[in-house]
Amino acid sequence: MLTGNDIWILAEAYVAGTLAASKLNELKDRLAVDPQFAAEFNEHVNMLRSLEGAGKQMRFKSMLADIQNSRTKVQVKPSRTISLKTYYLRTAGIAAAMALFTSLTTYWVIQHNNKRIASEYSLLRRDLEKYKRSQNQLIYNLKEQQNKPAEEARYTGTGFALTNDGYLVTNYHVIDGADSVYIQNKEGRYLKAIPVGFDQASDVAILKVEDKNFRFGKTEVPYTFATNRRKLGTRIYTLGFPQDNIVYNEGYVSSKNGYNGDSSQYQLEVPAYPGQSGAPIMDANGTVLAMITGKESGSEGTTYAVNARSVLQVVRNLPKEEAIRLPKANKMSHLTLEQQIEKMESYTCSIKVYKR
Amino acid sequence: MQGSVITEQFLLSELSQGRREATEQIYNQHYDVITKWIVNNGGSAADAADVYQESMVVLYEKSQDEQFRLSCKIGTYLFAVSKHIWFKKLSKKQTMPGALPENAGELEWAYEDDIKIHQERENYYAQLNAALEQIGEPCRSLLKAFYHEDKSMQQIAQGFGYTNPDNAKTQKYKCLTRLRKIFHNVQVK
Repeated sequence: MLTGNDIWILAEAYVAGTLAASKLNELKDRLAVDPQFAAEFNEHVNMLRSLEGAGKQMRFKSMLADIQNSRTKVQVKPSRTISLKTYYLRTAGIAAAMALFTSLTTYWVIQHNNKRIASEYSLLRRDLEKYKRSQNQLIYNLKEQQNKPAEEARYTGTGFALTNDGYLVTNYHVIDGADSVYIQNKEGRYLKAIPVGFDQASDVAILKVEDKNFRFGKTEVPYTFATNRRKLGTRIYTLGFPQDNIVYNEGYVSSKNGYNGDSSQYQLEVPAYPGQSGAPIMDANGTVLAMITGKESGSEGTTYAVNARSVLQVVRNLPKEEAIRLPKANKMSHLTLEQQIEKMESYTCSIKVYKR
Repeated sequence: MQGSVITEQFLLSELSQGRREATEQIYNQHYDVITKWIVNNGGSAADAADVYQESMVVLYEKSQDEQFRLSCKIGTYLFAVSKHIWFKKLSKKQTMPGALPENAGELEWAYEDDIKIHQERENYYAQLNAALEQIGEPCRSLLKAFYHEDKSMQQIAQGFGYTNPDNAKTQKYKCLTRLRKIFHNVQVK
């Protein structure tokens, strides 16, 4: 019979692998025939292994903490000071003044570029004052004389239908600060719309067409909204109003997160121009994945779009009297791309924003 | 490509032995990308460092198994594990619905098992340490010196005033027997 200490000695040698071959065989034989001893022995072995493991892990963790500390020390190491000779002082003074001026200007610019939208991020609403009126618009003006507001719109964006009876979604920044908002549908009709809900953070706004008899198309909205995130490389297309005519573009999902890693956005590789803010991003099955909100300035096709989940979140938070029922069935999946686009045209509209 | 695979395998084997140089190289190589991601997903700089260190511990534990071969790059592994740990922490913290990164629930959890095993092990070690705290002196200091501080029996014999290492060893075995009793009581609780 082994005493208390002997079993520890045996277990320790076994764990360390220093047991002589003959002893090891002896041990194995005993473990095989004596289950009570085997259980007890295994318990001792496990205890030793855990103690060793816990110790090793503890030493590893304190090493990591130490590495982390040395990192932060490196970062706060004071910078080397170079003494300036007197005759450099004037140049240095001018340089410092320039630097101060530049940083103050940058600060001012960033402060005035409101909210989280930094300087590299350009919103895609179209500033109409910069554009000449086109022939098309003149024609519409004549047709809709009685219903159209007197002035020219200040900004335009794009919107798309949530329900057939007049609820639609666009970007918050498109309608921000508006005195009045009109939509212009496929037939060129102007219709007054009122905001019923928005979320500034995700840049989503929901509008409702005032005219109760208005319908976007002959049937219910034919597309549904994606609830899960799509994979990188998913082919997408979009329809929007960078000009007075609807314009088609296609591209792909280039990152699952948007500007600065914003997880409520996708980053897309698709051309986008001012006026396309609020345009729907569709996949090949005709499901709405996202809505364009902005692009990276200085890049050709890098576009950011708020995902459908965030849009649905705003829909869910609408006040009770505005509660809307979204389409449940996707009627576009069996259509060819051309047929899908033709259908989408009825449910996509230009948004005209008026402010003084 | 071949070269980099060999380097990574070499780094891992060095890591498994707790060598500082390799550990530091791995740590610094992936630090910026991973901690930046955590900060962008609602973590503080301290959160980011904690989560990243935990993912390093998971890798270290995996590397203890001699059969272990990484099926992807070290950086990819650390990133996946860090993301997973961070999402778990977020969902624990979460009081408001909606602010969680939206795919937290649907993401195919990479290395779910590794993290589960890691957490079970952490619990087990915590229980073991709790038992160690209850054991009383001199056993507590003696076992800590041997297992945590990795001191030899020679050093311990001198430090604790035993006449020779064998006496210290005998004392250690007695302490282990006591620890075993207390530990099983702790576990029953």
